[in-house]
Amino acid sequence: MNEIGGVPLFFLEFGDIVTYFSPFTLTLFLLALVFTVFVVVSRPERQIDIAFGADAFFAKEISLPELRFRRFMAIACGLACMGAMVTGDVFDFTLFVSLVGICNVGIVAAVRTYHVRDAAYQYGLVALAGTVPLFSAAAMVAATTGTLSMLELASPAAPPVPLIARALLVLGVMGEGMAPFYAAKAEMFRAPGAPYVIMCSLSSLLIFLRVTEVVLLL
Amino acid sequence: MIAELLFGTAFGLLLLGIHRKVIARIQRRPGPPVWQEILHMLKFSFKTTWVPATASAVLFVGVVLVAIGIWTAALFVVLSGESLLIIFGIYMLHKIVEHGFGLSSGSPYGKFGGVRSVISAASEIPLFVSIAGIALFTHSLMISDIVAYQEVHGPLLLTVPLAGLAMYLVVLSKMPFGPFSIVESKELVSGYKTEHFGVWRAGLEVCNGLKTYVLLTTFLLVFVGNMPFLLLLAGMLVLTVSLSFACALCPMLSPYDSVTVQTIVAGLMLAYVSVLVVVS
Repeated sequence: MNEIGGVPLFFLEFGDIVTYFSPFTLTLFLLALVFTVFVVVSRPERQIDIAFGADAFFAKEISLPELRFRRFMAIACGLACMGAMVTGDVFDFTLFVSLVGICNVGIVAAVRTYHVRDAAYQYGLVALAGTVPLFSAAAMVAATTGTLSMLELASPAAPPVPLIARALLVLGVMGEGMAPFYAAKAEMFRAPGAPYVIMCSLSSLLIFLRVTEVVLLL
Repeated sequence: MIAELLFGTAFGLLLLGIHRKVIARIQRRPGPPVWQEILHMLKFSFKTTWVPATASAVLFVGVVLVAIGIWTAALFVVLSGESLLIIFGIYMLHKIVEHGFGLSSGSPYGKFGGVRSVISAASEIPLFVSIAGIALFTHSLMISDIVAYQEVHGPLLLTVPLAGLAMYLVVLSKMPFGPFSIVESKELVSGYKTEHFGVWRAGLEVCNGLKTYVLLTTFLLVFVGNMPFLLLLAGMLVLTVSLSFACALCPMLSPYDSVTVQTIVAGLMLAYVSVLVVVS
């Protein structure tokens, strides 16, 4: 099961931390890159909404300071996502995932709508709680196997990773944005600023896909 | 590769046309001709095209290219026998494309189509469970290995029938006019694709054709195994007709019911795979 995402295409070593690109991780990395480029070059849409109590509609505008902050957070989210997609180190993966959670909150926290802010606050609490099992999983992997390298852990000679560590890793990722906590973001998804809001849902799906591979690799 | 791409798109669109025709005949309507979806794609290609004034222009156009790109990549993955996990990933990322289509225009109809797409993420979990069930037996997620396994041990559809059913539901959830097609239901006009017209809609039609072709091919390769090309096409036709029956006879569920049913199916499938893990 060492080639779950296809045969690795190349390795990029940073000391003892190895980043690797397999067809699977490369696909996810490229998608994160494409949507990050969209965030950089596109301007937000003007969302049309109904004016209740009148036969009228209005367009929601995003102010320049709000746009700048949300774009910064969305770019940070994209970069964290790209890191999470290709890293070959369990601790780095958990670090990038927690960064994705923080950025997701930041992307929508600047929206001046009560419901959206409320959803962002609630999601922030879940993401905060999610970091506990996330980093606990990395600590357990290091304590039981003596390494955090996915490539070493994937080799048949490596000591087995406890099931509880894998379960905590999945639970942590779920807390950072995957289903069912993901549904808490419904209010966030309808916030104006499509290029930035999409980064929230994209990052959630990407980290879910990557954790699937990581859990099967360990 | 270009020839396969063109054929896949055209045949996928033809299958969607047959899908509409079968649904119409079951409901005692004449229905459109079977090549209607191909005509749609050609018609939209030459229609006047612009970007709505309220739209996020780059994203509005970019998601169309991403949609075609990811399903082209998926076709390449299937043809080269690469990892099933990549198909799984692309299938899930199609949600982002729908979300992008819906939100980028600024239209409330598109927005709610996009939001519905994201909240129905539970429909992907049966696919994950299906893949886990397959991996238990084949010990590999490479499509080429799965096909080779079936040449020795027989079709996986007989070994893990419930995993096949889960994958069938996943394909059903992506068919138009089905019980789970809440993202493009008529109270939202055309849902996430309401504001995409002209060449952008033609691009979306190409994506839909490719998506149908890739998903049906994957289902047959993963659960039935390798077969002659004409038999593969016949198998896809049979699958499409069976899906059309399901779509014609089941009413479209409300968003709440759709998510609930998909979540229940996901729970049952998780229990099934847990039993498989214990038994094996």
